[in-house]
Amino acid sequence: MTEQSTTRTRRRGVTEQQRPLWLLTPGGLLMTLIILVPLLLAVYISLIDLDQYTLRRWLDAPFIGLRNFTEAFESGLPRSIWISVSFAVISTAATVPFGIAAAVATQNAFRGRALVRAVFLIPYVLPSFVVATVWRTMLQPDGIVNTMLAKVGVDGALWLSGPTSFWTLILVEIWAAWPFIYLMALAGLQSVDGEVHEASAIDGANWWPKLTHVILPYLRGPVLLACLLATLHHINNFTLPYVLFGAPAPDDVNVMPMIVYVTSFQGLRFGLSAAMAIVSLLLIAIPLFAYLRALRLDVHEDGGRK
Amino acid sequence: MGRRRMRAVVAVAGAVTLAAGLGACGGGDEGGGGGAGKTLNVLIGANTQYPQEFRAWQKSIADRFKAQTGATVEFEEFATANDELTKIQTSVVSGAGPDVYAVGTTLTPTAYSTGAFVKLDDERWQKVGGKERFVPATLGISGPDQQNQVGVPFVSRPFVMAYNTELLRAAGISRPATTWDELREHAKQLTKGDQYGLAVAYKDNFDPWKFVWGMSVQAGNPLVDGRTARLQDPIVRQAYQTYFGWVTTDKVVDPAAIGWTNSQAIAEFAEGKTGYMALTSTTAAKALDDGAVKGKWSFALLPTVPPGAASRPATGVEAASILSGDNLLVADYSDNQDLAFEFVKMATEQDTQLDYYKAVGNLPANAAALQTLQSDPKLAPVAQAAQKSVATPFTGAWADIQLAMTNVVVQSIPDLSKGSVSDAQLDGRLADAQKSAQSALDRAK
Amino acid sequence: MTASTTPRPVPVLAPARRAGRARRRTAAGEAHRLLPAPLLAAVTVTLCAMVLAPTLYIVLASLNTDVGVASGEFWPRAFSLDSYSRIWTTADLATGLLNSMLVCALVAVASALLGTITAYVLVRYTFTGRLTILRGLVGLQSIPGTLMLLPVFVLFSSAGNYLGLTVVGTRWGLFLAYLTFALPFSTWVMVTYLRGLPRELEEAGRMDGASTLRILFRIIVPLSLPAIVVSGIFAFLLGWNDVLFASVLTRPETQTAAVALSAFGATQEGGAIPVYSQVMAAALISAAPVVLLYLAFQRYLVGGLTAGGVK
Repeated sequence: MTEQSTTRTRRRGVTEQQRPLWLLTPGGLLMTLIILVPLLLAVYISLIDLDQYTLRRWLDAPFIGLRNFTEAFESGLPRSIWISVSFAVISTAATVPFGIAAAVATQNAFRGRALVRAVFLIPYVLPSFVVATVWRTMLQPDGIVNTMLAKVGVDGALWLSGPTSFWTLILVEIWAAWPFIYLMALAGLQSVDGEVHEASAIDGANWWPKLTHVILPYLRGPVLLACLLATLHHINNFTLPYVLFGAPAPDDVNVMPMIVYVTSFQGLRFGLSAAMAIVSLLLIAIPLFAYLRALRLDVHEDGGRK
Repeated sequence: MGRRRMRAVVAVAGAVTLAAGLGACGGGDEGGGGGAGKTLNVLIGANTQYPQEFRAWQKSIADRFKAQTGATVEFEEFATANDELTKIQTSVVSGAGPDVYAVGTTLTPTAYSTGAFVKLDDERWQKVGGKERFVPATLGISGPDQQNQVGVPFVSRPFVMAYNTELLRAAGISRPATTWDELREHAKQLTKGDQYGLAVAYKDNFDPWKFVWGMSVQAGNPLVDGRTARLQDPIVRQAYQTYFGWVTTDKVVDPAAIGWTNSQAIAEFAEGKTGYMALTSTTAAKALDDGAVKGKWSFALLPTVPPGAASRPATGVEAASILSGDNLLVADYSDNQDLAFEFVKMATEQDTQLDYYKAVGNLPANAAALQTLQSDPKLAPVAQAAQKSVATPFTGAWADIQLAMTNVVVQSIPDLSKGSVSDAQLDGRLADAQKSAQSALDRAK
Repeated sequence: MTASTTPRPVPVLAPARRAGRARRRTAAGEAHRLLPAPLLAAVTVTLCAMVLAPTLYIVLASLNTDVGVASGEFWPRAFSLDSYSRIWTTADLATGLLNSMLVCALVAVASALLGTITAYVLVRYTFTGRLTILRGLVGLQSIPGTLMLLPVFVLFSSAGNYLGLTVVGTRWGLFLAYLTFALPFSTWVMVTYLRGLPRELEEAGRMDGASTLRILFRIIVPLSLPAIVVSGIFAFLLGWNDVLFASVLTRPETQTAAVALSAFGATQEGGAIPVYSQVMAAALISAAPVVLLYLAFQRYLVGGLTAGGVK
């Protein structure tokens, strides 16, 4: 790595020496102060016995080391994390086709395109709890969804309780979150040089091979990044399951943010919930970094496409 | 390019303006000096049913308080009990926040357990007008015992049933049921065609445990005995079975009810084709009057005789409702405690209480005020319920116990839709509930 | 072949269009097409239907009464515009919208710009710790909000208690919090986009003796407008829809639209019907500014490199 950069430095000349690293300070300062410091505080909280009884004088709360962590493992946290992760991965995978299709469809101008683009954004713009309320009303046992299904002769299921609730959560999340992939893919499509289009036209490529072999590779970077961030967002999404199912939630959708929220804000067991959140953070960060490395998303690619 | 730069300039200018306006937006209430010029911050629940009347009441009491003490009252509203709990947590941990809290009765034990609220000794009770001022039952959840009370009763929101007067009359029922068995019989008589006898909200997060609590307490099991949870008990089991039985075996409830929240059950009852609405309070009056059932409904006391019996056993308690309403608590980090207690006194005076009732429909906790409302026949059952309310166990673990009891119902819903909850399944869930309730009690300090 | 025989309109591109391209516009228009027309129509219609069906329910519900919505009606039995007038008094929606617009707009701009600057340094220069920072930024995004709430509140209120800086309850505090939470994401969006930008332009600028900042604002920002708009949108929405932090960091005067909206969803135990119809109306009103803003800025989503000027 150093070998490469030295060569590059030598190649690029003197300007590379004037690294304006000071430009990193504003962002870095903000993030250190408002994210890292509270994070350290949260780690401290996970090591003490902080609940409603000790909240008043939290600095004096007894230090109990890793006891919160052991309790976290015994309290059903691993299962919740598993539910969260599988929910997140499936949701992301399902939203990708929709997002890319939408980006591709709105890339070329047509009358009313601006409106269509705005319509596509609606699920993402609506606040989570409104989306959840609407879907919860529609998915009632005697709600509109089951009524429509009955009209076509399909027996409506119990959407909001029992095993089906897991798939309901995925369904609603897909509806609400696909515009995210759409937006990222759209931005990615803009970086396709005009000449690329012309070159493939000259080559006489049909739309399908052109799309899959020429255009889509440009989307790789943005879409893979979008997948990563979308998965993270799904894993940490608390509002949707909370408003859709309420607390306590059916066992099959007891996702990790729910269990952390209920422990912290309803059970008032801050130490335990901090430990839970940190455990889940670690369990998620490790595959995350593996994903990053595997896709080399963080590696310095040479700029420009020829 | 120029446009972009202009935008940046405007943005920076905007930021500078905001920063300049920073000083105006401080949330301070730290006031040194005399009585006048101070601000009292009161946290109270938002009211979406009567927002304008509520704000008008806030203004009138703020004006009166200013005239009396010179201090300004600023009201802050919270949306749900959870939001209030979050606010309590952040205020307790930072030592700054509202001076007076209007805390729901079910949350009062949790608030008490933080140790951040002022305990009322005799002197302070006198400051707020004396204990005799209040309906005796409402004092039941002010604290774990007489010496350690933090809550001053503010309003009363007891739970009652509602029934369709027309449907009951048509079925030949002369007066609403007074025992759970009788309720079931009535409901069976009233269920025919597209009509149902009972509206119940199985998927509500707050309703189910109240039924179980009521039936258990009436049969002699207070659910918490000192530091022991008594959820794994035949009495509790029968309570759940009765509750589930309405929709599975008796079939007096619309099958869709397993997906209903309380408001959906009310909406159903408001359509006029249901005999009884199993659990509601005066806050539903507006919704009922907006519906088809207008003029044909009335409140009734919840049954006070446990299921399977014709009269209450000796150990049973006549619990017509959980002790429900709001208490006023004063934060002990507050710099304005004397002012706060003066405010509490004003808020619990007979006139203020009656004004509040007229504005938003919550029953007064002030005994004299409640007395004047007794004459209203519509309110008589509710006033009775207020007087016959019994407090839920006063422990910091109650929130967890409540969750555990609700969880039994949540996990049973798939079985309810299939038609029955077997004893084995119920016992398994009761065992889980017992475990989590007991561990919560063990942690309570 | 003149421009007037173009079969379909070419999208409005950023100003730096080269004359040469106009000559080949017909062929270019055809070449740029990604999907055949019928497929395009099918995809667009399906996606729109998918989005609009529940949205239609929201619109219908906002025109219904609270009781009607609570009893599960789809098509209102009685249409009424009541909700639209009531929402302004039930909760302080107007103040909420104003505060949200102010804070979120600033957050969007600040986050996009700061993200661009940070991304530029991370993409164009090598230094020790670069990879760690990049990975760290992703890691920061995986931190759940519920973990951070109490510590961030403690931090802000300590600033108030010990430094005399009132942060809790001000719009400024909210702005700082949202900006910081949006930064890792904005930075990464810009990183991904900037990586694809050819270096030749910057080289040319540097050859002319331009400072880094000039290069940034004169060359990089115009070229990466699509990504800047996207990261701005996300930052805006992060602040717009957040309820958790807004509810603890604001006072009634500084509350955001999200907090006001959650007041509509208020449920009281055992009684009042939540004002469903008003919730829907308020939700639509709250979504409107964002959609309008998007409509205004979405034309910047076309252009960038396709505007030419590379050679």
